[in-house]
Amino acid sequence: MATEESPQVTRRATRSYSASNTAIESTNPPESYKPTINDLGFRQQPLRLEDLFSSFPGRRSQILELLRLLGPLNSPMFPILVYGGPSTGKTSVTLQVFRHLNRPFIYSSCITCYSPRILFESILNQLFHRKDSGHSYSSLKRCERPSDFVNYLREALENVITNLKGNSGKVSSKMSGRPDGTMVYLVFDNLECVRDWDKSSTILPFLFNLNDILKMPEVGLIFISNTSPDTYYLNIGYAEPIPLYFPDYTEDDLRHIFMANQTNSRLYASFLDVVLRPFCRVTRQVDELAAAFSSLFKKYSEPLSDKEVAPNEEMKRRLFSHIRPHIASALNETFQVRSQPLLKAETNQETKKTNSSRMPGVREDFDKIDFHMSTSAKYLLISAFLASRNPATLDASLFDSTGVSDSHKRKRKASEKSMDQKEMAEQELLMKGPGTFPLERLLAIFQCITSLAEDSLDEEESHELTVEGGSRGLMSDVLLQLSSLCNANFIIKGGSCPLEGSTRYRTAVSEDLALKVARSLKFPLSKYLYRR
Amino acid sequence: MGREKEKEKLSEKALNLLRSRLSDPNFIFRPLSDSPDSNYSKLKFIISTSVTEACNNSILLLGPRGSGKVAVLELVLSDLLQQYPEAISVIRLNGLLHSDDNCALKEIARQLCMEHQLLFSKVASFDDNSQFMIAMLRECGLAHKTIIFVLDEFDFFAQGKQRLLYSLLDAMQSVNSQAVVIGVSCRLDVDQLLEKRVRSRFSHRKLLFLSPSKEDTERFIEHILSLPMDSSLPHNYTAEFNGRLKKLLSDERFKELIDTYLSFNFTIGHLVRFLFQAVSYMDLSAGFLSLGNFKTALSSNQRQPKLECIRDCSVLELYMMVCMKRLEVKEQASYNFYSVMTEYKSIHDSFQTSDYYAANVCLRAFEHLLQCQLISFIDNKGHNQSVEFRPVKLLISSAELHQGLKSYQQCPAILLKLMDR
Repeated sequence: MATEESPQVTRRATRSYSASNTAIESTNPPESYKPTINDLGFRQQPLRLEDLFSSFPGRRSQILELLRLLGPLNSPMFPILVYGGPSTGKTSVTLQVFRHLNRPFIYSSCITCYSPRILFESILNQLFHRKDSGHSYSSLKRCERPSDFVNYLREALENVITNLKGNSGKVSSKMSGRPDGTMVYLVFDNLECVRDWDKSSTILPFLFNLNDILKMPEVGLIFISNTSPDTYYLNIGYAEPIPLYFPDYTEDDLRHIFMANQTNSRLYASFLDVVLRPFCRVTRQVDELAAAFSSLFKKYSEPLSDKEVAPNEEMKRRLFSHIRPHIASALNETFQVRSQPLLKAETNQETKKTNSSRMPGVREDFDKIDFHMSTSAKYLLISAFLASRNPATLDASLFDSTGVSDSHKRKRKASEKSMDQKEMAEQELLMKGPGTFPLERLLAIFQCITSLAEDSLDEEESHELTVEGGSRGLMSDVLLQLSSLCNANFIIKGGSCPLEGSTRYRTAVSEDLALKVARSLKFPLSKYLYRR
Repeated sequence: MGREKEKEKLSEKALNLLRSRLSDPNFIFRPLSDSPDSNYSKLKFIISTSVTEACNNSILLLGPRGSGKVAVLELVLSDLLQQYPEAISVIRLNGLLHSDDNCALKEIARQLCMEHQLLFSKVASFDDNSQFMIAMLRECGLAHKTIIFVLDEFDFFAQGKQRLLYSLLDAMQSVNSQAVVIGVSCRLDVDQLLEKRVRSRFSHRKLLFLSPSKEDTERFIEHILSLPMDSSLPHNYTAEFNGRLKKLLSDERFKELIDTYLSFNFTIGHLVRFLFQAVSYMDLSAGFLSLGNFKTALSSNQRQPKLECIRDCSVLELYMMVCMKRLEVKEQASYNFYSVMTEYKSIHDSFQTSDYYAANVCLRAFEHLLQCQLISFIDNKGHNQSVEFRPVKLLISSAELHQGLKSYQQCPAILLKLMDR
């Protein structure tokens, strides 16, 4: 499949065709790219040791230990397992250490390589098995089984190592950008994902024993994992790699990390004094804190007209009292990406309410849902929620022809025993979660609710055309809406009932969200909820 | 300045030398195999007799991981290859890779082809390969050449139908073939896993690889860590290094350290790994091994991962774990996120703590605990239920949790009080 065409296209072609053609030609390299040894090293500026330490505050001892275990140039090593919580810098430290040492390495992550075949082929491709000029995206050798992988790997590694040995006699590598030494390192990242694979019972011991199987002292193995080594114990033993632990950052380290690259360091320092401690009680992961702090810092520096000023004590107190109500609400948020209309609405409200005092923690957009759904999707969501919450036997009485439920029945005085029973029933409800329902029941409830809505619509307005168009519009693409709700994880498709054979669905929304959706439709949800 | 750099270069060279020694199994196991009644000599005797007397044989090498079974075998094979260069060819299989029969026969055919410079066809079928193997066995037998099959991780070959083992051992029964089958395994009872027909064809020779005695271990450490006098390093440096090493090895604290390590991990493989770590921590500016290196290596091996995980948790996550512990104490058989939240709420109501957060933040903390494997789902099949409803269990005992809370900096006193009840 030749993609080479002569640049002089003289035959007649439409403008778009020739435009796209030239685009293809300009991005196509003249011949297929032949990867070389230099690709195995980090091809950026080499890093000095002090820069390495300063770019990772709080990681000095771990960097030193990793350097010591990797050892001097051309020294064989035992496999290493780097482990620690998420976002503690394991991958970045490892890669930057290789940049500093300028040694050839091959990196593969078990998240992107989600099956053994992709993992093996990605490693082999990086060891530059020559790729076909035509199929530049497919790997040359198809490798599914560990036995094939070991054979190909041995071949490729021997190739690479003889190349490296040949190069080491020549010009110093700092000049030519070539990586140092005659050892090749394999880095396997995100090893904990391998535990969830189908073949994990053979792949995990294979990876850990790879050192013994290959028996090549010029190859070093480094594993990076989010979970500790005791989560990898299997029935089959393996030679344990040397563990290297990356603890979570302490508060001082977090302060150093957040203070880096800040334009106004004094202001940010006073900000951190206020927020760091309460937030550290909730989470100490850098990525979550960074997301929370960025929006909070904007609010903190709002009253300041001059963002470059260094605050004194009195200003600090003022800023603190301004931010304090926001901290409590921010603590109860996880990542929040606001949609545009909501942001504008908020700014409008802010300007309106400059004088009135706001209760801390109460949010004005309590009633609004911050994503857009069509009306029929909202009704479908509500019907799914009702179908999951209410037992099926109650449907007839709740959704009778008048559409009005009378759950405000005779209120009997609750006796001791019925209170206990209620408690146990609530416990059960908590434990079991929402129930499943078949498709027919969902559609029946949906039809009842929307007919109810149309009736109320009829009473309110006397327009004709919207109503009849509306009813057909609401029913037309229900099944399509259902599948998009399933894809958005609002409704989960459960297993099939063994007797009937039809699939059952289950709702996955919380009561708050359902109430919000109902409120936006002006639908009296609470009347239909079955409360024991 | 120059002298320091020189010293660093020297110590780097010494470090390199020690590290390469410790990673080379041949070097490690040769001194241990010198005595006449060691496994090395027994194995060598068995294989060499079957080579010279042209008979078939099979043997099992058993012992815990790291006791040097494959290393000693490789030593024997390399010695025999030097002694009888034309009379031996070796086929190596590994149970982790080749437990499937098709795979194994393909690998055998490939290795036979490589040895005898024949063309190997990748699309040969299972029958073709097995016929090829039998034909090669016959030919080699007629040429008085012994084929040695090394089956590593033998217990994997004993899974399933054991077709490969049966065909191998059966082929050996014919008059013409000369083959030795050596099985290597960590399971000491691996011959019980064999089928009756396979076991009857297998000679019940077993060689047990045990860890060496204490004196042998000490001698071994000294031998491995002493720099050789005839290396390229200057003589006075080597002498001083070895002298200091001797003093260190006779130190009581060092002996205690080694004893502690060996009481947990007693094979040579583990010891070598420990020595490797200690040697890597050697201070390059000083250039000599010190007791501190060994102490650091020991402490890095004595980690308690669950306690480390607890130390990495935030206060909210500690609250959730204590709530789960209390639910367990109340003998609630299974609990999920929502029941934990009700317990959390009740604690907040009764004690008026300052740490009360909304449900989504608690859910994030819950998922973090799942990720660290401090809690886990009870069954893996409930994928069609959302995370909040699946029942979970604690993977950490109450004593460990208590210890973790005590060592946590700024642990809220309320949690300790709740744990004590």
